[in-house]
Amino acid sequence: MSFASRREFLRTAGLSAAALPFVLNLQSIAAPAASAKRKQRLLVMFSPNGTVPWNFWPEKTGKDFELKPITESLKPFKDRMLFLKGLSNRVKGDGDGHMRGIGCMLTGDILLPGNIQGGSDTPAGWCSNISIDQELKNHLQAKDETRTRFGSLEFGVMVPDRADTWTRMSYAGANKPITPVDNPYQMFKKLYGRKKDNEVLASVLDDLNADLKAVSGKVSAADRRLLEQHATLVREMEAELKADAQAKDIGHKVPELEAGVREENDNMPKISRMQTELIVASFLADFTRVATFQYVNSVGDEKMRWLGIEEGHHTLSHEGNDNKKAQEKLTKINTWYAEQLAHLCQRLAETPEPDGSGSLLDNTTIVWTNELGQGNSHTHNNVPWLVIGGGALGWKTGRSLDYKGVPHNRLLMSLAHGFGHEVKAFGKADLCKDGPLTDLT
Amino acid sequence: MRSFTCLLILALPAAAAPDGAKLYKEQCARCHGDAGQGVKRKYDQPLAGDLAIPQLAEQVWKTMPDGKPESLTKDEAAAIAAFMSEAFYSPAARERNKPIVPDPARLTVNQYRHAAADVVGSFRGGTNQWKDGGQGLKAEYFGNRNYGNRQKERTDPTVAFDFGTNPPTTDGKYDEHEFSARWSGSFLTPESGDYTFAVKSDQAVKLWVNGEVVVNALVKSGNQTEYTATLPLTGGRVYPIRLDFSKALQGVKDKKPKPVPAFVRLEWKRPHGAMEPIPARYLSPGWVPEQLVVGTPFPPDDKSLGWVRGTAISKEWDAAVTEAALEVSAYVVRHHEGLAGIDPKTPLDKRAPKLKEFATKFVERAFRRPLNADLKQAFVEKQFTAANGDAETFLKRVVLLAMKSPRFLVREAADTLDAHDVASRLSFALWDSGPDNELLAAAAAGKLKTKEDVRKQAERMLADPRAEAKVQSFLLHWLRLDHERDLGKNAQLYPGFDAAVVADLRTSLELFLDEVVRSKDADFRRLLKADEVFVNPRLAKVYGVSLPDATGFRKVTLDPGQRAGVLTHPYLLSTFAYSEHSSPIHRGLVVAKGILGVGLKPPQEAFSPLAASEHPTLTTRERVALQTKGANCQTCHNVLNPLGFPFEGFDAIGKLRTKDNSKEIDTTGRYLTKAGEEKLFKGPVDLAHFLADSPEVHEAFATQMFHHLIQQPVRAFGANRTAELRDSFAKSSYNIRTLAAEIAASAALASGGR
Repeated sequence: MSFASRREFLRTAGLSAAALPFVLNLQSIAAPAASAKRKQRLLVMFSPNGTVPWNFWPEKTGKDFELKPITESLKPFKDRMLFLKGLSNRVKGDGDGHMRGIGCMLTGDILLPGNIQGGSDTPAGWCSNISIDQELKNHLQAKDETRTRFGSLEFGVMVPDRADTWTRMSYAGANKPITPVDNPYQMFKKLYGRKKDNEVLASVLDDLNADLKAVSGKVSAADRRLLEQHATLVREMEAELKADAQAKDIGHKVPELEAGVREENDNMPKISRMQTELIVASFLADFTRVATFQYVNSVGDEKMRWLGIEEGHHTLSHEGNDNKKAQEKLTKINTWYAEQLAHLCQRLAETPEPDGSGSLLDNTTIVWTNELGQGNSHTHNNVPWLVIGGGALGWKTGRSLDYKGVPHNRLLMSLAHGFGHEVKAFGKADLCKDGPLTDLT
Repeated sequence: MRSFTCLLILALPAAAAPDGAKLYKEQCARCHGDAGQGVKRKYDQPLAGDLAIPQLAEQVWKTMPDGKPESLTKDEAAAIAAFMSEAFYSPAARERNKPIVPDPARLTVNQYRHAAADVVGSFRGGTNQWKDGGQGLKAEYFGNRNYGNRQKERTDPTVAFDFGTNPPTTDGKYDEHEFSARWSGSFLTPESGDYTFAVKSDQAVKLWVNGEVVVNALVKSGNQTEYTATLPLTGGRVYPIRLDFSKALQGVKDKKPKPVPAFVRLEWKRPHGAMEPIPARYLSPGWVPEQLVVGTPFPPDDKSLGWVRGTAISKEWDAAVTEAALEVSAYVVRHHEGLAGIDPKTPLDKRAPKLKEFATKFVERAFRRPLNADLKQAFVEKQFTAANGDAETFLKRVVLLAMKSPRFLVREAADTLDAHDVASRLSFALWDSGPDNELLAAAAAGKLKTKEDVRKQAERMLADPRAEAKVQSFLLHWLRLDHERDLGKNAQLYPGFDAAVVADLRTSLELFLDEVVRSKDADFRRLLKADEVFVNPRLAKVYGVSLPDATGFRKVTLDPGQRAGVLTHPYLLSTFAYSEHSSPIHRGLVVAKGILGVGLKPPQEAFSPLAASEHPTLTTRERVALQTKGANCQTCHNVLNPLGFPFEGFDAIGKLRTKDNSKEIDTTGRYLTKAGEEKLFKGPVDLAHFLADSPEVHEAFATQMFHHLIQQPVRAFGANRTAELRDSFAKSSYNIRTLAAEIAASAALASGGR
């Protein structure tokens, strides 16, 4: 299945189009005040099992870099890219490579001792630290001007229905993993449930009033008093619903999701698009400034049959570098993930900020990462960190950088600093001695 | 420190063989009005109560006129009392003067939760069944860590195991140092409120309550060994529960498991309880389907008349009803395939017939009667058209409309009484919920016409957990134990009297109430006379009995010859006591208001009890007498105190004592009956035996039960209704269940009874 079938499963045409007149209107009368601080968003996207390094990392560093096959689809965003080679997850401690890979990825800290045994190493439990997305959520929620309705939203695609160290990357604190919502309908309910409910409620009020009238015709005066009170309250509710609907009707059009898409391996592309639309919509509505987007889980064994690949991803990822066929398939898989990212970037780029401060993408820093550098070696070195955006954090983009093996904790610190949250360390302190990454700003 | 209120009169004034009416006019009307209606800035409360004429005469003589008590002759007081009683004071006079009709009523909060759960539950077979209740949970032990290779199945009364490094059972084959176990079945909620469930374990555990995962601790991390979840649940309902336990490393299989110890406990903290392993009496190995639990908070119901009633609606209530309707509609949408019996593989456009069938039944269940063609058109067909083929919108509309309709929310939304109204009255009286299928079928078949028909249904319904919970909650109300009270005691005086003991005491009382109500005779008099108390080892230690080899609760004769029934139960005695001292006033109040049904009102100002330290030579009895000796106080305390003093042989935790403040204890008491007979008591057993056989007590019990079940003033059902109930109670040899059935059945059939 290709991207072109978007209309088939998603009727979102109204989204940006509906917002447009309002945006234009706003732009014409009030450009944002010069002193107002720029909106900053963070989106962390995860895909599993390492990358195919030679088809991912550009050979050249600096501004003049070339795109390898995996990231080809991201070409329109090349000047917004930052390839961050040479970052290592050096946290160590309990847990196998995949567990530590995902568990320490956004937390920069060790897993607690526990009862989850991996394929090697010692058993472990949950992580001992908050993750950077939640840290930034707390930072933004603490201030009136950056507080949003949800603070953060955790999106998923086909995340297995089991809570363990391999399936969680976001933590509200030690021992507090956050479950990503991988069902688009559930996420839709979270975002718009009340609005939908109110619409249905408003639409049955006439019938309700008719019923109240019919009933009160049958009872004595004393009983009617109770019913009349009831009817008065229904009328008040009607007025409130109306006021509510008018107040909220100036935002964006609610995305429409195709009905009945089940959570099945083969529906992954559909679900990915549905979730993407909900991410765009929640940024547009300023429901949140922080989001995570987790495809499957570390050790994910999704089967990309729509690409003609019958084997599971994790199974393939153990194949050696000399297994050309396997590496080709792994390249295809990672290419598919990059295409999802490209599509998301495209949707953000074509959607203007309601306040006129450019596109949604202009104010969004997207970080795509992985629990491993490469699957067959389970290495935690050269984890594929790719940033798109970052301009809003003051980072100089359109570059390929190689840090040649520094702890990834320093990137987590850089993200915090970029948001004006000047932490002295993030996660394991001895990995943070050298401060945020140099050469980003 | 708890304060108590000096009880003001309800009764009044004075005369002789002379003319009561004339005397009243001369002596009383200036402050109380010609018809006892009250006079502003004098005494503005109406004179109304249920003291008998001799009792009233005594009050009048002792306390009136204001400032000159005992200035009337006893004969004058009696004449005034007779006049007042006949003219406006007595219940009969009030009945004559101002006929009372039942109030229009909406569902109470508890009724809403039950009714909503039962509407949805009616689409699932076997909801709320309490089969094999009281035994514990089904336990399965598996030879490996993944709930496979089952070695043993049995019933475990509670889940509280410390396996050490051993296998869980001696007679199975288990992987070395690895096994798993599953406990499943159902649990009964004895009352409505918040239930906190706790799984305590050092291994991988997962707990489902009512079909939802509430604890997911398959990952053990760090030092955490305790996981809790709190759910608001309705009393008298049966919910499924399951606990999975796996002693092993999770994830990739451990190649060389080590001999580590393992433990697991499944506990709860129920309302009014302490954290404890869920007791076997609330557990069943039988499986039941999950239920709808409405979590929306509601504003509390009116309780100002002494019973819960839904006679007023407010904006907050309406908002809660809307929220709850949305909650129920979301639940129905989420579960509609299962509820409507739709195969998930059925194409969306082929579902209309089943959806409409479900919607029709749903509305019928909510309205507690079949839908006529007009209603079906309005609530189903019209909504289906409006939803434009979208199942979710259709169901939402139907459920919202049904749950917001007065046909669901109002107890009787029409003036005429038909068989379905009878069914509804009966089910709300006994279950606080709508009728079940059997009752609806009986209504449809014309089998709810005679008293006999209705009684038969009532008797069947009384065996349901919802009815048992309702009767139990009535008994606790009758004993004035239905309010949250602080039972904290001075730890130096009463060492070991902690929260666990308090919870045990309540359990002990509940076990006793249950036993009496469930016994064949269900004899009311046993509640007041029985000389046995349930104790467990913890209580045995505090109350000084020996309980060899027992683990749970067992019946013992506590302090032989010194105790009789609920009034001497240590839970009651310690509830109606201060932190250091007994409280004869509070204990007397339970006897007077609760047991005898004397209508004492507590207006005016609040008082703190005299401090014992300022009266170092006095006993509690003497301090109480000192503080309440004023004429104003005496109008009520003259009745109250002598009903509390017989319990002075028990201290603040209800333990037997022989001395108070180093003095001998005076346990004498007295009561002037409605028939004018003075009864003297020595000690609580004497008093309890008098009460158990007193017609006043029987009438008070029946009246209060009526109010609790029917939630309407009993006088609205006829001036003689209480006397009739008392007589029928006597005829059944004071069978509590028979009385409940009689009350429910007669009210269900009463014309205009609502």
